[in-house]
Amino acid sequence: MSASASRLKAVLGIVVLIAVPWIIRDRYFLHLLITAGIFVILTSSWNLLAGFAGLLNLGHAAFYGAGAYASALLAIRLGLTPWIGLICGGLVAGVFGFLLGIPSLRLSGPYLAITTIGFAEILRMVAMNWVSLTRGSLGLYGIPPLTAIRLGPGMRIDFYSERNVYYILLLLLFATIFCFRRLTRSEFGLTLKAMREDEIAAESIGADSNRYKLTVFTISAFFAGVAGAFFAHYQRLVSPETIGLGETFTILTMTVLGGLGTLTGPILGAVLLTFLSEGLRFLEDMVKIDVRMVIYGLLLIVTMLFMRNGVMGLLTRVTDSVLSRKKG
Amino acid sequence: MESLLLQQILNGTVVGSVYSLVAIGLTMIFGVMKISNFAQGDYSMAGAYVAVLVFAFLPGWLGWIGSLLAAAALIGLLGVFTEKFVFRPLLDRSTDIDIIMVSIGLFILLENLALLFFHATPRMIPDPFGGATIRLGFASTSVMRLVCLIFSFAAIALLELFLNRTKTGVAIRATSENRHAALLMGIDVNRIYGITFGMGTAMAGIGGVFYGTLFAVYPMMGVMPTLKAFIVTILGGMGNLRGAIFGGLILGVAETLGGTYISMEYKNAVGFVIIILVLLIRPSGLFGRRESL
Repeated sequence: MSASASRLKAVLGIVVLIAVPWIIRDRYFLHLLITAGIFVILTSSWNLLAGFAGLLNLGHAAFYGAGAYASALLAIRLGLTPWIGLICGGLVAGVFGFLLGIPSLRLSGPYLAITTIGFAEILRMVAMNWVSLTRGSLGLYGIPPLTAIRLGPGMRIDFYSERNVYYILLLLLFATIFCFRRLTRSEFGLTLKAMREDEIAAESIGADSNRYKLTVFTISAFFAGVAGAFFAHYQRLVSPETIGLGETFTILTMTVLGGLGTLTGPILGAVLLTFLSEGLRFLEDMVKIDVRMVIYGLLLIVTMLFMRNGVMGLLTRVTDSVLSRKKG
Repeated sequence: MESLLLQQILNGTVVGSVYSLVAIGLTMIFGVMKISNFAQGDYSMAGAYVAVLVFAFLPGWLGWIGSLLAAAALIGLLGVFTEKFVFRPLLDRSTDIDIIMVSIGLFILLENLALLFFHATPRMIPDPFGGATIRLGFASTSVMRLVCLIFSFAAIALLELFLNRTKTGVAIRATSENRHAALLMGIDVNRIYGITFGMGTAMAGIGGVFYGTLFAVYPMMGVMPTLKAFIVTILGGMGNLRGAIFGGLILGVAETLGGTYISMEYKNAVGFVIIILVLLIRPSGLFGRRESL
């Protein structure tokens, strides 16, 4: 595909995304889009670690939760505007990412997996038991939404409606994906991949693997933290469940289903599973059985066994075979 | 004061022996096949539900013995089945991350299948001794807990006997030492993999019956045995059976003491703090790396 054609496609996609709230005016549908968007930031940032760097972090929900709690607490206790809270949430999560990166320098595989789970579980227990700060299992409620923007006398954009929130999220998404695209195509991204394939070989040609690992952990955590802060001001309720293992496993399933180690895969997976699970909810109402998570588990196993590169890999294979048939 | 300490150490030992039992299955599977099975605790959960079903037909201590045998057999079979269809296709061509991810898929699947069939209401495995207690010097404990302790160690001893005294056991150890050499000696490695995974999950199944007796049976109960088994296994060195026994006892006692003297709320954090410290100082575990049985 030529560069201009792919640019045209991108512009078309952006126009569609901007137009959606005016075409489909259903508030619930917009809510789903926002949920999917938050998951896109989470899966993309998780993919940076697991897909590109080969670091299996099973504590991603901790970064998300740290960002959510940080921004929510700053807004409730200190009256800080959520706009700055988004950045602060990211920064707090980034610090946690850096700290968790330190043990990860020497660990891999199951050792890293269990250390990151441990980190998230400890954070969840703190959120659960430091009742005077976090209200324990009740969670933080009454979190203010994003502050309204005043354009002039009588003209203001407030963020009680899904539509305006959606546009802010869209901006955030573009920024995130732009950053990740630049990052993974730069020398930094290439070095990460080289380290994933063979760490010793990468070090022997001068890659400082410790610095790279710490950096990628911090960046990944920062974006997850921003997503968490955004979620807190949108949902306006944060509970310790946000940090639970289930949340990380959902992120993992989405990313693997979409295609680990690609840029588009995690986006595709997050959107697909968010809408699939809604579709299944209607099915559940009919058959009165909770099948959603059973299907998540099956999807994860089937993807790992039969389509290792996820839906993205499948799509590429299909388009490739169509193209070659046209030629031949 | 002194008797409280002894009492807590005894309680910790009981819980720790069950941790060892589940962890020994995990470490055995890792030692032979290099599989980090994050679904291990869900085989325990399944074992606990087998016990609940057996008790519906056979009450009393007969039911208890029956459910141990049934859990070992059925969960072992479930293990053989999942090894053949889920793990084996991945073994030759994947990284340890892939294996972990597929086992997480299994974890989500088993947990939610249980939720589908048994619903979220917790169930109890009845105490066949009617809550009778026994005094041992300074400390006292229920007969039930003592039986759990004895049976856990009996199961571990049987496993050790099997691995050291039978032909199949020796073949399992040979495979874990060197897979290719074992193949050359005429050992059917695939069969050994099936047996190993089945025995490892059978241990988890028996451990699940004890877990269910000491705590409660519910679909989400598998997370705890999985996490504890990993903590124990890392403490003892992955693939090290003796290490798993000591690791389990250390974790059990450390948790009960932490829960009593530091904070009940953070009892489950004790294990994580210990392994993060251990991994920072000695990345191969307290008892050194020994990745074969």
